[in-house]
Amino acid sequence: MLGLALIIFGLSYLAAVATLLALRFRVGMRLVGAVPLVLLTLMLGLFGLYAAPAFAKYGPGLVVSAEWNPPREAYGLLPALLGTLLTSAVAIAIAVPLALSAAVALNEFLPGLLREVVGSLMDLTAAMPTVIYGLWGLFTLGPFLQRLINGVSSLLGLGVRMEAPVSLLTAGVLLGVVITPYIAAIVREGYALIPKAIEEAIYAVGATRLEAVLLKLRYVRGYVLGGLFLGLGRAMGETVAVAMVVGGNYVHPTLNLLSPGITISSLIALQFPESSGYAISVLFAAAFLLAAVGLGLNAMGVYLIRRWGT
Amino acid sequence: MRRLLNLVGIGLITVLAVVAVVPVVSVVVDIYMKGIAAIGRLGGLWTFLTDIPPSPTATAGGVGSQLVGSLFMTALGAAVGVLIGFPVGVYIGEYRREALAHLSRGVVQTLVEFPTLAVGLFVVSLFGLMRTEVNQIAAPVSERLAAALGDWVTYFVGELGPYNAYIGAAALGLVMMPYVALFTASSYASIVQPLREAAYSISSSEFGAVFVVLRKVVWRAVLTSFLLGTAKIAGETAPLLLTAFGNRYYAPFTGQTGAVSLWIYSAALQPYQVQVDSAYGAAAVLLTVVLAIFIVAKAVGRHV
Repeated sequence: MLGLALIIFGLSYLAAVATLLALRFRVGMRLVGAVPLVLLTLMLGLFGLYAAPAFAKYGPGLVVSAEWNPPREAYGLLPALLGTLLTSAVAIAIAVPLALSAAVALNEFLPGLLREVVGSLMDLTAAMPTVIYGLWGLFTLGPFLQRLINGVSSLLGLGVRMEAPVSLLTAGVLLGVVITPYIAAIVREGYALIPKAIEEAIYAVGATRLEAVLLKLRYVRGYVLGGLFLGLGRAMGETVAVAMVVGGNYVHPTLNLLSPGITISSLIALQFPESSGYAISVLFAAAFLLAAVGLGLNAMGVYLIRRWGT
Repeated sequence: MRRLLNLVGIGLITVLAVVAVVPVVSVVVDIYMKGIAAIGRLGGLWTFLTDIPPSPTATAGGVGSQLVGSLFMTALGAAVGVLIGFPVGVYIGEYRREALAHLSRGVVQTLVEFPTLAVGLFVVSLFGLMRTEVNQIAAPVSERLAAALGDWVTYFVGELGPYNAYIGAAALGLVMMPYVALFTASSYASIVQPLREAAYSISSSEFGAVFVVLRKVVWRAVLTSFLLGTAKIAGETAPLLLTAFGNRYYAPFTGQTGAVSLWIYSAALQPYQVQVDSAYGAAAVLLTVVLAIFIVAKAVGRHV
């Protein structure tokens, strides 16, 4: 029934756009421009609709309980929430210094042609499929981190601390690698907009190279902060790369970075195909949270760039 | 003291910059070295590009069926992305003083990095609501088409399963739409006023001015955004996970469909070396495709 209504709505929207574009062009264009709004409303509405049973049944227990027990229909999202927070925190802690340095080094130290080439390469890696990063994380980064951590911990006399190459730490580091070129691209965009006069003024008062860099970074702080939020949004929403290396442990909540865990998006990806009953509704609630947080972070990032950008 | 600090700071920045680049280079080198070796082990390039993925006991195989699915869904998704994204971008860029355009621009900007998994979930749940009705409308049409054109049509049309290539393409299109919209908007906004006035004066209608004359001014930028968006969705996995679902075999697009990225994801998590090998081979193929589109996009965009 709802489906029929949706089909009729979609078709009449199309027809309205077509007629109005021919008759009253501007009004038709407004209808076209409203499409993203309609889609977003539809998406949040649909997630809310499907998630309602879960919110009604579990209430706040949904986000503070850690059980995942299909036979008893007891579900909680706590491990996934913790996992998402931990992995994104690690990712941001790694990516921000690296991305800032890469952006600065690229714009300050490299000569013209080389800058162009390396810059293009960075842009390419920002657009590289994340499933490829996942493959690399699973078979190269994970074992490397395991050897490194266990080597250090046995030197300190703590024995083997990381039992598997898949863990929350691996996911966090991998996310850091994924979002570094992306944040660097945003910072570089701002960096390129610094007026020549400002740059000359900085050096004219006798600033050293480092002081000049710091001043310039402060000048483009909108881009730096915006990049941070957009990177965070990307880290929280990333699915497959994380699902491949996080370990898929959705039963035991853990704060230990070195053990396998789960994140919201990988929980949905791993569980949705085999869920039924209330589990589906719980996963939609998770998706609702994911969408809301993702939208909030992105809006924040875009706002910061717009506010201080130009 | 200041000079010492300067040296230390600059040194630190250089070291961190190198650390930032190393993992990324490592990914590309790692994928190509292991990928090319794996393609060799699995029966050479031609077999790899045409065969179905290896079963755990097989010694040869490829990603032919996955390539077909990827190609179909990416092409369709790119078409959807442009058909929605371009007009939306024109509105945001050309009528940017209207309040609605402002709001729409904000929404599109936040959608650019929206979790793509959520897009897939949205499309599959929306389609779940409409599936019975769509099939009631589509079934007689597809029967008549099959009778008129022959059986090969059933590869494309027919009763749609809960997971199929068409909703996969729709999800990819929605992922791509904001990219095209934003690029189009900024290139329309950068058209100089005299050119815009000239366009309006030689066209018989506003539609013609905006969509025909001005389009020719910005077509390079729009083409670049189209190519970059295509490169992005060609490798997307998360939106396909819940919509196309994956399939090892050559199969009708009306049911579960495989894609290269989906195969990499599922094969990498298998305990069998031959399937992990095929994941590396598939990753090398996917990376090559994305790289190629990216280079073409850069070449087109150079003259903007």
